[in-house]
Amino acid sequence: MNIRVIALNTFGGFLRDRLIILFCALFVCVILLMMTPLLAARTLSAANNTQQVQAMVLGLMSGIMALASGFGSLLAAWAATDTIASEMRSGTILAVMARPVRRWEFLLGKYLGVQLLMVVYIAAMLLLSYLLAQLGGERIHSSWWLLLLYPLVRYAVYSAIAMLLVTVLHSIVTIAIVLVISVLANVVAPSAGHSMIPEVIRTPLYVLLPSTNLLSETRLLSLTQAPLNPSSWLSHLTALAYGLDYALVCFLLAVWVFHYRGLTRD
Amino acid sequence: MTGPAIEFRNVSKSFRTIPALSGVSFEVAHGEVCAFLGPNGAGKTTSMNVLMGFLYADSGEVLVLGHLPGDVRAKRQIGFLPENFAFYKHLNAPELLRFHVQLAGLGVQGDVLIPELLRKVKLNGYEDLKIGKYSRGMVQRLGIAQALLSDPQLLILDEPTSGLDPAGRKEVRDLIMSLKAAGKTIFLSSHLLAEVEQTCDRVIIIDRGQVVRAGRLDELLGRDDRVEIVVDHLPTTMEQLLTDRGVFVARDMQVVRLTVGAASKRDVAEMLWEAGCDVISLNRVRSTLEDLFLKLVGDGSQP
Repeated sequence: MNIRVIALNTFGGFLRDRLIILFCALFVCVILLMMTPLLAARTLSAANNTQQVQAMVLGLMSGIMALASGFGSLLAAWAATDTIASEMRSGTILAVMARPVRRWEFLLGKYLGVQLLMVVYIAAMLLLSYLLAQLGGERIHSSWWLLLLYPLVRYAVYSAIAMLLVTVLHSIVTIAIVLVISVLANVVAPSAGHSMIPEVIRTPLYVLLPSTNLLSETRLLSLTQAPLNPSSWLSHLTALAYGLDYALVCFLLAVWVFHYRGLTRD
Repeated sequence: MTGPAIEFRNVSKSFRTIPALSGVSFEVAHGEVCAFLGPNGAGKTTSMNVLMGFLYADSGEVLVLGHLPGDVRAKRQIGFLPENFAFYKHLNAPELLRFHVQLAGLGVQGDVLIPELLRKVKLNGYEDLKIGKYSRGMVQRLGIAQALLSDPQLLILDEPTSGLDPAGRKEVRDLIMSLKAAGKTIFLSSHLLAEVEQTCDRVIIIDRGQVVRAGRLDELLGRDDRVEIVVDHLPTTMEQLLTDRGVFVARDMQVVRLTVGAASKRDVAEMLWEAGCDVISLNRVRSTLEDLFLKLVGDGSQP
């Protein structure tokens, strides 16, 4: 009951957060700007060089989707950081924790509030993906639930990492570390090809850091007319379970740290 | 109910190397109104935060209503007003109270209480205004309303009259008196010593993280058997006579104050009348909490 109340209040707070509204508005503007060449390319495709235009359209679409997906990771980390840091900074946490609320309930409520925000974000992202595909005259060959679950799990991982870090660090340091983690995770992934990082560091980092490549929906977001080899159920389950496990470990660590820390600004 | 409502036994707490509490021990009995006094930085808020389970003591033992601080069984019976009550700016007063009703697990019966509580703290009529637009005093009233929400057995109020105007302070004082009459235990901190004197049964004075005095207010202030007589003027010859009889004379701008022993007040008053002095007032001299406080912790000018 308490968890649900805290989650809904957190979500309500996000929807009224001026910073989030501003970022989303800016983001929509960028997307709209990027869509302009897409619409122009579609007009061209009616004339000649069909294959060339199609390649351009696909490039644009994947660019927009990658941007939306990356922004989501940042949003998840920022929302998780801010929701805890602002409660501590303003002191609102004291009135909440004076109620019969356990510390883990508070943290879980906050975490679920962030996930609610991310569900809304992913739904908007899905809508955008289908809209782009429609505009580009292409078809998305993946199930919608996969496109929903993969980013949701990835965002759950990032928000759990952020929540763990913010229980001990300043919010700006937290965001900076999450950004470094997300960049490093991509650099050390085997799919990133040859990198400057020596193998002896690269392998442990790849094991330690969340595999965002594995959890990336772009892996299965085949936009070409010929569908890619579909992944098996087991493959999806393994990838999603890996992400959930990673998020759970980070969240449990956050609960443990949060349990032993003071709740005041002293 | 067995045992005290609040029990602090040899509690110490440091922030890094700075000690905030050093072996603090005190008790607050059920049904008592107890004031927790001390200068800024004395450790009052730290003690309250330890009491609520927001901070962990480095050593010592704390029990609240027979439970450890932070235990939900204790928190169900506690109403807490933090110092500088903070709020979710995006909510209005009924929404915030509803949020607290839900957290307290009061359900529908709690929802019914909301309009009544808002009336009680004089916030009715502001239901649609976002809390972010409230004045400092209104926020404090709302904080008091949320503390009273679950009809708690124990109220822990950190500076309840902070930010309130004189009328608001009187309302809080009346509220505390009515809660006291209802048998609630109240543990409050305040800098307004005159108000504390009017409402509290017991006082705990803390300074630099240590309890310097604790006890019932009447015991701490003691009984003074001196009387102050105020007259409009006093001839010099009369002054010499009275001084010889052990009367303390202090001349103000417009009046003369004479402090005499209670036993000789009648004689002195009659002497004054006969000498043609107009006796303006005759009152028992009483030590105030402020006197005691300043005596114990100084005037704050010490480093």
